[in-house]
Amino acid sequence: MSEPEVNTNEEKKGTSDFVEDGKNKMVIKCKYCLSKILEKKTAVYVEQEKELPLMFQGIDRKQGEIKKEMLNEYYHVDNMYIFENIGFTHQVDNYKYLTCADCEAGPVGYYDLDSKHSYIALSRIEHS
Amino acid sequence: MAKTYDCLFKLLLIGDSGVGKTSILFRFSEDAFNISFISTIGIDFKIRTIDLDGKKVKLQIWDTAGQERFRTITTAYYRGSMGIMLVYDVTNEKSFENIKNWIRNIEENASADVEKMILGNKCDLDSKRQVSKERGEQLAIEYQIKFVETSAKDSLNVEYAFFTLARDIKAKMEKKQEASNPTRGSGAHQLRANEQQRRPTSWLSRCSLL
Ligand SMILES: Nc1nc2c(ncn2[C@@H]2O[C@H](COP(=O)(O)OP(=O)(O)OP(=O)(O)O)[C@@H](O)[C@H]2O)c(=O)[nH]1
Ligand SMILES: [Mg+2]
Ligand SMILES: [Zn+2]
Repeated sequence: MSEPEVNTNEEKKGTSDFVEDGKNKMVIKCKYCLSKILEKKTAVYVEQEKELPLMFQGIDRKQGEIKKEMLNEYYHVDNMYIFENIGFTHQVDNYKYLTCADCEAGPVGYYDLDSKHSYIALSRIEHS
Repeated sequence: MAKTYDCLFKLLLIGDSGVGKTSILFRFSEDAFNISFISTIGIDFKIRTIDLDGKKVKLQIWDTAGQERFRTITTAYYRGSMGIMLVYDVTNEKSFENIKNWIRNIEENASADVEKMILGNKCDLDSKRQVSKERGEQLAIEYQIKFVETSAKDSLNVEYAFFTLARDIKAKMEKKQEASNPTRGSGAHQLRANEQQRRPTSWLSRCSLL
């Protein structure tokens, strides 16, 4: 297949497969149980450096230690009722972490209590 | 952005400590995620989307902590809630007797027309049962509230309970709407698009504003 030449160097690490008109092109699901988290085209793709706690902390960690990783691709959802199915944890600092509503895998993202906006990390979910 | 749902209902789970509220709303967790970050902080509420007779309904379901006891659950807690699941444990007589206290607390603090349902949870534990199904049914008749026995462990009747409560809330809203529009027949909520614009108080637009 021949790609149009214009957009090739604009592309960023495969996100074009998932993002169209700045929004999620596909349905967003839980990686583990495929519970539907967001409908197509309901969230805006944003790049921002933001740390998230790991989904699996492991059993070898020290008491109170929280392992995190830096992620930079997120979907932005400005109203929590846009979500199809989602869990909100209790508050930690100024955030509530977001989880799958069915299997509770997470964090798949976070909710900011100041702005009341939610962010889902692309690397923590499944596109389908 | 186009509205992604027709209705939004806020629901609460209430009952003594240990009856299984968290297990009903959340997963009966005995799996790998137990060592995860999430299980250490716990989940506050969930949003679930269900299809209720062709309408896309969002449920926002809140867990409560039973050890706060009924005396300290106040108006603020109930604010905006449209449905309440009253949960007791069929293996715990005291939790069943306390349902009456919870109902009194709701009557004193929640909105008068909040929809209620009684759940007799842990019905999988038949050998430890202290409260018969008949007594649960009898209590429900006394208060004219719907009743079902559930098992969060076996996922028995849990989904059915949420659908039933949501359906009752929706029916109540439709009835209210008809009462405020007496000229309309039973199809009052099936407004055409232009009618809906002229009628901002139709239950459909009203409940989605919540
Ligand atoms: N066998 C069985 N055990 C259950 C069931 N539901 C909950 N449990 C167990 O009962 C215990 C208490 O359950 P929770 O969900 O924590 O109870 P709770 O109502 O949230 O209690 P508080 O948060 O203290 O108000 C846990 O050990 C659960 O595993 C059930 O349907 N069957
Ligand atoms: Mg609990
Ligand atoms: Zn899941």
